[in-house]
Amino acid sequence: MILAKLALGAVGTLAFATVYTFREGTIRVDVDEHRPGGSHVHVWVPAALVPAAMHFVPDDKLLEAACHAREALPIVKIVAAELENYPNADFVQVDGEDEHVKVSVHNGKVYVDVQDHGDDVHVAVPVSTIQDIIENIGDRADRGKAQ
Amino acid sequence: MTSHFRKYLRSFSITAAAAMLLTPIAATAQTATSSSSNDRWLHVRVISANDKGETVRVNVPLDLAEKVLPAINKDRLHNGKVRIDHAAEMDGVDCRALLDAIKNTKDGEFVTVQAHDSDVKVAKQGGYMLIHVTEKRYAEGKDGKELKDAKATEKSRVEVKVPMKVVEALFSAGKDELDVLAALRALSAHGDTELVSVKDEENTVRVWLDSKNTAD
Repeated sequence: MILAKLALGAVGTLAFATVYTFREGTIRVDVDEHRPGGSHVHVWVPAALVPAAMHFVPDDKLLEAACHAREALPIVKIVAAELENYPNADFVQVDGEDEHVKVSVHNGKVYVDVQDHGDDVHVAVPVSTIQDIIENIGDRADRGKAQ
Repeated sequence: MTSHFRKYLRSFSITAAAAMLLTPIAATAQTATSSSSNDRWLHVRVISANDKGETVRVNVPLDLAEKVLPAINKDRLHNGKVRIDHAAEMDGVDCRALLDAIKNTKDGEFVTVQAHDSDVKVAKQGGYMLIHVTEKRYAEGKDGKELKDAKATEKSRVEVKVPMKVVEALFSAGKDELDVLAALRALSAHGDTELVSVKDEENTVRVWLDSKNTAD
Protein backbone atom coordinates (compact mmCIF):
# COMPACT_ATOMS: atom_id res chain seq x y z
CA MET A 1 0.00 0.00 0.00
CA ILE A 2 2.81 2.41 0.87
CA LEU A 3 4.50 1.58 -2.42
CA ALA A 4 1.30 2.33 -4.29
CA LYS A 5 1.00 5.71 -2.56
CA LEU A 6 4.63 6.48 -3.34
CA ALA A 7 4.11 5.50 -6.96
CA LEU A 8 0.99 7.65 -7.16
CA GLY A 9 2.88 10.56 -5.63
CA ALA A 10 5.76 10.12 -8.05
CA VAL A 11 3.48 9.84 -11.07
CA GLY A 12 1.45 12.85 -9.88
CA THR A 13 4.57 14.94 -9.37
CA LEU A 14 5.90 13.89 -12.75
CA ALA A 15 2.58 14.73 -14.39
CA PHE A 16 2.51 18.15 -12.71
CA ALA A 17 6.13 18.80 -13.62
CA THR A 18 5.43 17.85 -17.24
CA VAL A 19 2.31 19.97 -17.47
CA TYR A 20 4.10 22.91 -15.80
CA THR A 21 7.10 22.60 -18.12
CA PHE A 22 4.99 22.47 -21.25
CA ARG A 23 2.35 25.00 -20.16
CA GLU A 24 3.82 27.69 -22.42
CA GLY A 25 4.26 25.33 -25.33
CA THR A 26 7.48 24.38 -27.04
CA ILE A 27 10.18 26.01 -29.08
CA ARG A 28 10.69 23.97 -32.18
CA VAL A 29 13.59 24.12 -34.61
CA ASP A 30 13.71 21.78 -37.59
CA VAL A 31 16.52 21.93 -40.12
CA ASP A 32 16.60 19.48 -43.01
CA GLU A 33 19.16 19.64 -45.77
CA HIS A 34 17.81 17.34 -48.45
CA ARG A 35 21.09 16.48 -50.15
CA PRO A 36 23.74 13.81 -49.71
CA GLY A 37 25.54 14.44 -46.42
CA GLY A 38 23.03 17.10 -45.49
CA SER A 39 22.27 17.57 -41.83
CA HIS A 40 18.97 17.03 -40.10
CA VAL A 41 18.46 18.84 -36.84
CA HIS A 42 15.25 18.62 -34.86
CA VAL A 43 15.07 20.37 -31.51
CA TRP A 44 12.05 20.65 -29.24
CA VAL A 45 12.53 22.69 -26.08
CA PRO A 46 9.83 23.50 -23.53
CA ALA A 47 9.36 27.26 -23.76
CA ALA A 48 9.01 27.57 -19.98
CA LEU A 49 12.65 26.51 -19.60
CA VAL A 50 14.03 29.36 -21.69
CA PRO A 51 13.62 32.21 -19.17
CA ALA A 52 15.23 29.97 -16.55
CA ALA A 53 18.06 29.02 -18.90
CA MET A 54 18.65 32.70 -19.68
CA HIS A 55 19.83 33.19 -16.09
CA PHE A 56 22.71 30.83 -16.75
CA VAL A 57 24.00 32.84 -19.71
CA PRO A 58 27.03 34.85 -18.53
CA ASP A 59 26.38 38.59 -18.24
CA ASP A 60 29.24 39.54 -20.55
CA LYS A 61 27.92 37.35 -23.37
CA LEU A 62 24.42 38.71 -22.98
CA LEU A 63 25.66 42.29 -22.75
CA GLU A 64 27.56 41.80 -25.96
CA ALA A 65 24.38 40.58 -27.63
CA ALA A 66 22.41 43.45 -26.10
CA CYS A 67 24.99 45.92 -27.44
CA HIS A 68 24.60 44.56 -30.96
CA ALA A 69 20.82 44.66 -30.70
CA ARG A 70 20.59 47.95 -28.81
CA GLU A 71 18.89 49.84 -31.64
CA ALA A 72 16.50 47.04 -32.49
CA LEU A 73 15.64 46.03 -28.92
CA PRO A 74 12.89 48.63 -28.26
CA ILE A 75 11.34 47.85 -31.63
CA VAL A 76 11.40 44.09 -31.07
CA LYS A 77 9.95 44.65 -27.60
CA ILE A 78 7.00 46.60 -29.01
CA VAL A 79 6.46 44.09 -31.82
CA ALA A 80 6.57 41.15 -29.40
CA ALA A 81 4.07 42.83 -27.10
CA GLU A 82 1.79 43.74 -29.99
CA LEU A 83 1.91 40.27 -31.54
CA GLU A 84 -0.33 39.10 -28.71
CA ASN A 85 -3.11 41.07 -30.37
CA TYR A 86 -2.69 39.12 -33.59
CA PRO A 87 -2.84 35.43 -32.65
CA ASN A 88 -3.43 34.26 -36.24
CA ALA A 89 -1.87 36.18 -39.10
CA ASP A 90 0.50 35.82 -42.02
CA PHE A 91 2.91 38.75 -42.01
CA VAL A 92 5.37 37.96 -44.77
CA GLN A 93 5.20 35.44 -47.56
CA VAL A 94 7.70 35.07 -50.37
CA ASP A 95 7.11 32.45 -53.04
CA GLY A 96 9.64 31.85 -55.74
CA GLU A 97 10.49 28.95 -58.01
CA ASP A 98 12.72 27.20 -55.43
CA GLU A 99 12.34 29.51 -52.48
CA HIS A 100 9.53 29.93 -50.04
CA VAL A 101 9.61 32.07 -46.93
CA LYS A 102 6.75 32.58 -44.53
CA VAL A 103 6.60 34.50 -41.27
CA SER A 104 3.34 34.03 -39.46
CA VAL A 105 1.69 33.82 -36.07
CA HIS A 106 -0.71 31.04 -35.22
CA ASN A 107 -2.21 30.35 -31.81
CA GLY A 108 0.27 32.66 -30.11
CA LYS A 109 3.35 31.16 -31.75
CA VAL A 110 5.64 32.86 -34.24
CA TYR A 111 6.46 30.60 -37.16
CA VAL A 112 9.33 31.14 -39.56
CA ASP A 113 9.31 28.66 -42.42
CA VAL A 114 12.00 28.71 -45.07
CA GLN A 115 12.37 26.37 -48.02
CA ASP A 116 15.42 27.16 -50.09
CA HIS A 117 16.45 24.91 -52.98
CA GLY A 118 15.50 21.74 -51.13
CA ASP A 119 16.69 22.85 -47.70
CA ASP A 120 14.00 23.30 -45.09
CA VAL A 121 14.16 25.37 -41.93
CA HIS A 122 11.16 25.63 -39.64
CA VAL A 123 11.22 27.58 -36.39
CA ALA A 124 8.32 27.99 -34.00
CA VAL A 125 8.58 30.14 -30.87
CA PRO A 126 5.77 31.19 -28.52
CA VAL A 127 5.29 34.97 -28.48
CA SER A 128 5.47 34.92 -24.66
CA THR A 129 8.95 33.37 -24.86
CA ILE A 130 10.17 36.11 -27.20
CA GLN A 131 8.85 38.67 -24.72
CA ASP A 132 10.64 36.91 -21.85
CA ILE A 133 13.93 36.82 -23.76
CA ILE A 134 13.71 40.47 -24.82
CA GLU A 135 12.81 41.54 -21.29
CA ASN A 136 15.69 39.53 -19.86
CA ILE A 137 18.21 40.98 -22.33
CA GLY A 138 16.83 44.51 -21.71
CA ASP A 139 17.05 44.14 -17.92
CA ARG A 140 20.58 42.76 -18.06
CA ALA A 141 21.63 45.52 -20.45
CA ASP A 142 20.17 48.17 -18.10
CA ARG A 143 21.93 46.59 -15.13
CA GLY A 144 25.17 46.46 -17.08
CA LYS A 145 24.84 50.13 -17.98
CA ALA A 146 24.15 51.08 -14.36
CA GLN A 147 27.26 49.26 -13.08
CA MET B 1 -11.00 5.82 3.54
CA THR B 2 -7.90 5.15 1.47
CA SER B 3 -9.92 4.53 -1.69
CA HIS B 4 -11.84 7.79 -1.06
CA PHE B 5 -8.57 9.65 -0.65
CA ARG B 6 -7.15 8.04 -3.78
CA LYS B 7 -10.29 8.92 -5.77
CA TYR B 8 -10.16 12.48 -4.49
CA LEU B 9 -6.46 12.76 -5.31
CA ARG B 10 -6.99 11.34 -8.79
CA SER B 11 -9.85 13.70 -9.61
CA PHE B 12 -7.87 16.64 -8.20
CA SER B 13 -4.81 15.71 -10.27
CA ILE B 14 -6.84 15.37 -13.46
CA THR B 15 -8.70 18.64 -12.86
CA ALA B 16 -5.52 20.53 -11.99
CA ALA B 17 -3.65 19.11 -14.98
CA ALA B 18 -6.53 19.93 -17.31
CA ALA B 19 -6.78 23.45 -15.89
CA MET B 20 -3.06 24.05 -16.34
CA LEU B 21 -3.08 22.62 -19.83
CA LEU B 22 -6.08 24.63 -20.90
CA THR B 23 -4.90 27.92 -19.39
CA PRO B 24 -2.76 28.94 -22.39
CA ILE B 25 -5.53 27.89 -24.78
CA ALA B 26 -8.07 29.95 -22.88
CA ALA B 27 -5.65 32.88 -22.82
CA THR B 28 -5.10 32.56 -26.56
CA ALA B 29 -8.82 32.41 -27.19
CA GLN B 30 -9.29 35.48 -25.06
CA THR B 31 -6.58 37.30 -26.98
CA ALA B 32 -8.14 36.19 -30.25
CA THR B 33 -11.45 37.72 -29.34
CA SER B 34 -9.81 40.80 -27.89
CA SER B 35 -8.17 41.46 -31.25
CA SER B 36 -10.35 44.27 -32.48
CA SER B 37 -12.64 43.36 -35.34
CA ASN B 38 -12.02 46.73 -36.96
CA ASP B 39 -8.26 46.18 -37.22
CA ARG B 40 -6.91 47.78 -40.32
CA TRP B 41 -4.25 45.96 -42.32
CA LEU B 42 -1.89 47.42 -44.86
CA HIS B 43 -1.10 44.92 -47.59
CA VAL B 44 1.74 45.00 -50.08
CA ARG B 45 1.90 42.49 -52.90
CA VAL B 46 4.67 42.33 -55.48
CA ILE B 47 4.43 39.88 -58.33
CA SER B 48 7.58 39.60 -60.34
CA ALA B 49 7.34 38.65 -63.98
CA ASN B 50 10.91 37.34 -64.19
CA ASP B 51 11.87 33.68 -64.79
CA LYS B 52 11.56 32.82 -61.11
CA GLY B 53 8.10 34.33 -60.90
CA GLU B 54 8.54 35.52 -57.32
CA THR B 55 5.62 36.78 -55.31
CA VAL B 56 6.08 38.78 -52.14
CA ARG B 57 3.20 39.42 -49.78
CA VAL B 58 3.53 41.61 -46.71
CA ASN B 59 0.64 42.24 -44.33
CA VAL B 60 1.08 44.80 -41.58
CA PRO B 61 -1.54 45.77 -39.00
CA LEU B 62 -1.77 49.58 -38.94
CA ASP B 63 -2.00 49.50 -35.14
CA LEU B 64 1.33 47.70 -35.00
CA ALA B 65 2.92 50.13 -37.46
CA GLU B 66 1.61 53.07 -35.42
CA LYS B 67 3.25 51.72 -32.29
CA VAL B 68 6.53 50.67 -33.88
CA LEU B 69 7.13 53.79 -35.95
CA PRO B 70 7.84 56.18 -33.04
CA ALA B 71 10.42 53.69 -31.73
CA ILE B 72 12.46 53.90 -34.91
CA ASN B 73 15.00 56.69 -34.73
CA LYS B 74 17.40 56.32 -37.57
CA ASP B 75 18.70 58.63 -40.24
CA ARG B 76 15.91 60.99 -41.20
CA LEU B 77 13.15 59.14 -39.36
CA HIS B 78 12.52 60.35 -35.82
CA ASN B 79 9.37 59.99 -33.70
CA GLY B 80 7.34 58.96 -36.71
CA LYS B 81 8.41 61.98 -38.75
CA VAL B 82 10.67 62.10 -41.77
CA ARG B 83 12.88 65.14 -42.15
CA ILE B 84 13.13 66.48 -45.67
CA ASP B 85 15.68 68.81 -47.09
CA HIS B 86 13.28 71.32 -48.54
CA ALA B 87 15.73 73.26 -50.63
CA ALA B 88 17.34 70.24 -52.25
CA GLU B 89 14.42 67.86 -52.56
CA MET B 90 11.36 70.01 -53.08
CA ASP B 91 13.05 72.22 -55.65
CA GLY B 92 11.54 75.34 -54.12
CA VAL B 93 7.98 74.02 -54.20
CA ASP B 94 5.91 74.97 -51.16
CA CYS B 95 3.99 71.73 -50.64
CA ARG B 96 1.87 73.13 -47.85
CA ALA B 97 0.64 76.05 -49.89
CA LEU B 98 -0.01 73.69 -52.77
CA LEU B 99 -1.93 71.34 -50.50
CA ASP B 100 -3.99 74.17 -49.03
CA ALA B 101 -4.88 75.26 -52.53
CA ILE B 102 -5.92 71.75 -53.52
CA LYS B 103 -7.88 71.25 -50.27
CA ASN B 104 -10.01 74.29 -50.87
CA THR B 105 -10.62 73.59 -54.51
CA LYS B 106 -13.44 71.60 -56.05
CA ASP B 107 -12.83 68.17 -57.56
CA GLY B 108 -10.98 68.24 -60.82
CA GLU B 109 -7.71 67.66 -62.64
CA PHE B 110 -4.93 69.95 -61.50
CA VAL B 111 -2.02 68.74 -63.53
CA THR B 112 -2.11 67.08 -66.90
CA VAL B 113 1.14 66.50 -68.71
CA GLN B 114 1.18 64.67 -72.01
CA ALA B 115 4.77 64.25 -73.07
CA HIS B 116 6.45 62.05 -75.62
CA ASP B 117 7.70 59.58 -72.99
CA SER B 118 5.04 59.81 -70.33
CA ASP B 119 1.66 61.12 -69.30
CA VAL B 120 1.09 62.53 -65.84
CA LYS B 121 -2.22 63.38 -64.23
CA VAL B 122 -2.84 64.77 -60.76
CA ALA B 123 -6.44 65.16 -59.66
CA LYS B 124 -8.76 65.45 -56.70
CA GLN B 125 -11.87 63.31 -56.73
CA GLY B 126 -14.32 62.28 -54.03
CA GLY B 127 -11.98 63.12 -51.15
CA TYR B 128 -9.01 61.38 -52.75
CA MET B 129 -5.87 62.68 -54.37
CA LEU B 130 -5.17 60.77 -57.55
CA ILE B 131 -1.82 60.57 -59.28
CA HIS B 132 -1.54 58.64 -62.53
CA VAL B 133 1.73 58.27 -64.39
CA THR B 134 1.97 56.31 -67.61
CA GLU B 135 5.32 55.69 -69.23
CA LYS B 136 5.26 55.14 -72.98
CA ARG B 137 7.42 53.21 -75.35
CA TYR B 138 7.75 53.19 -79.11
CA ALA B 139 8.73 50.47 -81.52
CA GLU B 140 12.43 50.58 -82.42
CA GLY B 141 14.20 49.79 -85.64
CA LYS B 142 17.23 47.51 -86.07
CA ASP B 143 19.51 50.42 -85.27
CA GLY B 144 17.83 50.82 -81.90
CA LYS B 145 16.31 54.11 -82.89
CA GLU B 146 12.65 54.89 -82.57
CA LEU B 147 10.67 54.21 -85.72
CA LYS B 148 9.04 57.16 -87.37
CA ASP B 149 5.26 57.30 -86.90
CA ALA B 150 5.45 54.43 -84.41
CA LYS B 151 2.47 54.27 -82.08
CA ALA B 152 3.07 54.52 -78.38
CA THR B 153 2.35 51.54 -76.17
CA GLU B 154 2.20 51.44 -72.40
CA LYS B 155 5.52 50.67 -70.75
CA SER B 156 4.46 51.14 -67.18
CA ARG B 157 1.56 52.53 -65.26
CA VAL B 158 1.56 53.95 -61.74
CA GLU B 159 -1.69 54.77 -60.00
CA VAL B 160 -1.72 56.34 -56.56
CA LYS B 161 -4.96 57.03 -54.71
CA VAL B 162 -4.54 58.62 -51.30
CA PRO B 163 -7.34 59.99 -49.12
CA MET B 164 -7.00 63.77 -48.82
CA LYS B 165 -7.13 63.48 -45.02
CA VAL B 166 -4.03 61.29 -45.15
CA VAL B 167 -2.21 63.78 -47.36
CA GLU B 168 -3.18 66.59 -44.99
CA ALA B 169 -1.96 64.58 -42.00
CA LEU B 170 1.29 63.85 -43.80
CA PHE B 171 2.01 67.55 -44.18
CA SER B 172 0.67 68.49 -40.75
CA ALA B 173 4.09 68.58 -39.10
CA GLY B 174 6.70 71.31 -39.42
CA LYS B 175 7.79 72.81 -42.70
CA ASP B 176 10.62 70.38 -43.24
CA GLU B 177 8.93 67.26 -41.98
CA LEU B 178 6.52 64.64 -43.16
CA ASP B 179 4.40 63.23 -40.34
CA VAL B 180 4.18 59.58 -41.34
CA LEU B 181 2.66 58.61 -38.00
CA ALA B 182 -0.19 61.10 -38.36
CA ALA B 183 -0.72 59.84 -41.91
CA LEU B 184 -0.94 56.25 -40.64
CA ARG B 185 -3.48 57.32 -38.02
CA ALA B 186 -5.55 59.08 -40.64
CA LEU B 187 -5.29 56.01 -42.83
CA SER B 188 -6.49 53.68 -40.09
CA ALA B 189 -9.66 55.75 -39.76
CA HIS B 190 -10.33 55.16 -43.42
CA GLY B 191 -12.31 52.38 -45.06
CA ASP B 192 -11.02 49.71 -47.43
CA THR B 193 -9.09 51.34 -50.21
CA GLU B 194 -6.56 50.66 -52.95
CA LEU B 195 -3.62 52.98 -52.40
CA VAL B 196 -0.94 52.19 -54.96
CA SER B 197 -0.89 50.14 -58.09
CA VAL B 198 2.20 49.81 -60.28
CA LYS B 199 2.42 47.70 -63.37
CA ASP B 200 5.44 47.42 -65.60
CA GLU B 201 7.27 44.76 -67.59
CA GLU B 202 9.00 43.34 -64.52
CA ASN B 203 6.69 43.81 -61.58
CA THR B 204 3.14 44.27 -60.54
CA VAL B 205 2.87 46.05 -57.22
CA ARG B 206 -0.28 46.61 -55.24
CA VAL B 207 -0.66 48.39 -51.90
CA TRP B 208 -4.07 48.41 -50.29
CA LEU B 209 -5.88 48.69 -47.00
CA ASP B 210 -8.58 46.45 -45.61
CA SER B 211 -9.69 44.52 -42.53
CA LYS B 212 -8.40 41.09 -43.56
CA ASN B 213 -5.27 39.70 -41.93
CA THR B 214 -4.21 37.84 -45.05
CA ALA B 215 -3.52 38.98 -48.59
CA ASP B 216 -5.89 37.70 -51.26
